[in-house]
Amino acid sequence: MRYFLLAFILVALTACATKDNDKVEQTWKGKGFTYYPSGTLKPSNSGTGRRGDNYIYAPNIRFPLAYAPAYINSQVYGVGGQFGPRGSLCDKRNYQYPWRDNYCEKRTRGMPLCPAGVGHQGVDIRAKDCKDNTYYAVAVEEGVITYIGSYSVKLRGKSGRTYRYLHLNARSIQVRRGQRVWRGQKIGRVSNNMGGTKTSIHLHFDIKQTIRFGNTSKSVYVPPYSSLVDAYKRLLRGRP
Amino acid sequence: MRLLLTTLLLLSSLNAESGILDIKWPKPNPQQQKPSIPYPSVLTEGIKNTKLPVYIPSSLAYDKKMVVVANKNFYSISFLFQGATLMVSGDKTFQESIPSSNSDFQKMMKASPTVEFMEEEGMRSANFNRHGVNYELIIECEKPKTDTRCTEEQYIRKLYSRLIMVGGRP
Repeated sequence: MRYFLLAFILVALTACATKDNDKVEQTWKGKGFTYYPSGTLKPSNSGTGRRGDNYIYAPNIRFPLAYAPAYINSQVYGVGGQFGPRGSLCDKRNYQYPWRDNYCEKRTRGMPLCPAGVGHQGVDIRAKDCKDNTYYAVAVEEGVITYIGSYSVKLRGKSGRTYRYLHLNARSIQVRRGQRVWRGQKIGRVSNNMGGTKTSIHLHFDIKQTIRFGNTSKSVYVPPYSSLVDAYKRLLRGRP
Repeated sequence: MRLLLTTLLLLSSLNAESGILDIKWPKPNPQQQKPSIPYPSVLTEGIKNTKLPVYIPSSLAYDKKMVVVANKNFYSISFLFQGATLMVSGDKTFQESIPSSNSDFQKMMKASPTVEFMEEEGMRSANFNRHGVNYELIIECEKPKTDTRCTEEQYIRKLYSRLIMVGGRP
C-alpha cells in the first residue's frame, strides 16, 4: 500500500510538472510576445527537450535577427514540415507566437546535453514573414568571423563562444573570413540555402562552448533558447 | 520528472566561470616541428602567436590557399575544395565549469566519447580533446545529401587520422 501511494504521488507530481511546463508564459502583453518554457518541444513525438533548463548559457548576447518579430519554432514538425501538419511552410501559423524550443528535437546528431544523447544542435528561427533573402541576421556579440562555408557562417565571440548561422543567402553575406565584427553588425540575409538542397526559409542558430569538468573539458552545443528569450526581450524593449 | 529534477539540480551547480585550459604539451616531434620543406607563410605567419598545439591534416599542410584566423587562444584554418569547405580549429578557452560535486553533469559529459564523429546539419565533423585542448574538424559540402564526403563518415575519419602538429608554442 505504501509503495502504491508513493507511486501515485510520483505520477501526480510528473503530471503537474508536465502541465506547468506546457503553460504559455505571457510575459510581454504589450508586445504580444509569448513563449513556451525551455525544453518544451512540439508534441507528437518530436523528441525530448531539456525541460526546466532555464540557464542562460550565453548571457547578454544580441538577438541574431536585426528586427522583431521573429519566431522560434520547429521547421520539421511545424506546418508544412516533413513531419508536421499539411500545409505551406509559409502558413501564417508558423509566423506567430508562442515560441517553442526545438533544441534536442529528434535528429541523429550526437548531443551529450540532450536527454536522448542525440538531437537538434540549435534552434530554428523564422523572421517576420516568409520573404526570402530579406531579413538580416546580425552578430550576437563582438568577435571575429572564423569560417564561411556553402551555407554556414561561424562567429567566434570575444567570450570564446562560437555561434553558427546557417542557411543565409550566400550572395548576401556581408562579412569575410578573419573579419572583426561588432555586436549587431549585419552578417547576411535569412534564406533557404543548404547548398544544392534547399530547406525552408529560416535561420538555424547554435552556440558551441567549452565546459570544463574536473581536469578535462568538452566543447558542446549548449541550449540557446533561454539566452535567446532573454535577448529577444531586450530587442523588444529597444535595447538590443 | 526525474529529468526535470536532475536538470534543476545540475544547473544549480553550473558555474559561469571562464578561463584558459591547462595544456599538456606533447614531446616535440622534430619531423613535424621542422619539416624538410617549410610550411607556407600563410600558415606560419597566421599561427605565429598561437599558444596551443596547431593540428591540420598532413595532406593540406602545403595548401597555400588556406585561410588562417588565429590569436593566442585559438585558431581556425579553412580549406576550399571542389564542392566543399573544410575547417580545422582548436581552442584553449572555456566558458563554463562544473564543480566536481556535480556528478550528474560530469557523468553526462563523460559518457560521450573522447573523439566524436558527428553528422551536423548536412556536415560531418570530428570533435576531440587532445593535450587538454578542444579541437574540431568539420567538412561542409555544397551538395550535402549526395556528396559522400558529407554523407559518409569515412572521409572525416581519414582526415582525422592524418592530423599532424604544424606549430603552436607554449
